[in-house]
Amino acid sequence: MITMNKVSKHYGSFQVLTDCTTQVHKGEVIVVCGPSGSGKSTLIKCVNGLEPFQSGEIIVNGVSVGDPKTNLSKLRSTVGMVFQNFELFPHMSIIDNLAIAQTKVLARTQEQAREKGFKLLDRVGLRAQAEKYPGQLSGGQQQRVAIARALAMDPICMLFDEPTSALDPEMVNEVLDVMTELAQEGMTMMCVTHEMGFAKRVASRVIFMDQGRIVEDDSKEAFFDHARSERAQQFLAKILHH
Amino acid sequence: MHEFDWSSIPNALPFLWDGMKISLEITLSAVVFGIVWGTLLALMRLSSVTPLSWFAAAYVNLFRAIPLVMVLLWFFLIVPHLLESLFGFPRGSDMRLSSAIAGFALFEAAYYSEIIRAGIQSVPKGQMGAASALGMTYGQAMRLVVLPQAFRNMVPLLLTQGIILFQDTSLVYVSALADFFGAAYKVGDRDGRLVELLLFAGAVYFVICFTASRIVRHYQNKLKTA
Repeated sequence: MITMNKVSKHYGSFQVLTDCTTQVHKGEVIVVCGPSGSGKSTLIKCVNGLEPFQSGEIIVNGVSVGDPKTNLSKLRSTVGMVFQNFELFPHMSIIDNLAIAQTKVLARTQEQAREKGFKLLDRVGLRAQAEKYPGQLSGGQQQRVAIARALAMDPICMLFDEPTSALDPEMVNEVLDVMTELAQEGMTMMCVTHEMGFAKRVASRVIFMDQGRIVEDDSKEAFFDHARSERAQQFLAKILHH
Repeated sequence: MHEFDWSSIPNALPFLWDGMKISLEITLSAVVFGIVWGTLLALMRLSSVTPLSWFAAAYVNLFRAIPLVMVLLWFFLIVPHLLESLFGFPRGSDMRLSSAIAGFALFEAAYYSEIIRAGIQSVPKGQMGAASALGMTYGQAMRLVVLPQAFRNMVPLLLTQGIILFQDTSLVYVSALADFFGAAYKVGDRDGRLVELLLFAGAVYFVICFTASRIVRHYQNKLKTA
């Protein structure tokens, strides 16, 4: 479903990504981890073209992201994305946040969009908050709304960019629960996250990045039990033993 | 010691009111056109298309470096002639009001565009990212997500600029247009009561502008606590 082939990116002389190659198959859940500044977020943002890259190619569902002839807006409407800082639209009610792209991008009617929105809010347990504004919700609730907003577009896969990093600890689980449920339903997912418990529970594969390179790309068992690179071993030692 | 005699004011009120209507008409039209054109300029300035951003930057810097009264004079003296020769407008038709409005709108757009550009930049970048990620085009994301938030933050500044504009409309006296200030001056000149009429006009400007900026400040405080 997602194929990356030797993707490289630099800002001026600073190399952010170097020859990143991997594949995500339908129904797989890939967890991308690594120290900060290793290029995880940049990599995942390249998948839907939010970050341009200079060389290599990314194919999403048969469409080349880097091709200038590609209609990026159309491609993005099929790929859901959840951000670290939620990025709900603060000037719209929750239900309008869920409906706006459905009506403006997918040309659904207002009734269809709202109905779909209510259904998804139900699913993330926030139906009662539909008429409120994002500022009135807790971080965990906002992130669940953000997931619902992405799902409202009926995406073929979902990208998560550190979805729990900006949350208070007690709100992390409500978001991870929604993500776990999604994974169990067979959604194809690529998640940048430090939540190793989540990775152990639901990941099909773990990608470990360091200094812009994919250092490990292995099944979660192989990664957690005997990571090959020293860098990944150090990272795991730090993140798991505290 | 000058002896004040206010008696010519009551009779002149209808005439002064006509002048006030012209002042308000110029203010409102220039604010509306200025904001629309200013928004386009701001979008051009922020655009990645070099000729567009270059044009907008040149426009803004040019108009901000020229005194308003000169722009008004140009529009009063030169533009009507241009229109006459280019489009065959009847010679001597009174275009003072429309040329004054055009002059103000084009001039104010330069100031509005800077306010609007700052407003757009004050919206977190992630908002554009989130809108794009949902499949919105650049235009949709701007129109539905970024600009509404930008304008909500900018309303106090835009209104304050509108109040300044209202005061500046008195500069149309250079084209002998009877706005409120022009009307007051004419009445005072006719009746030999210039000091009284100018004091009166000043008081009216003060009351209007002071009240308006109080309202703006009230709104601003409400925005802060919201």
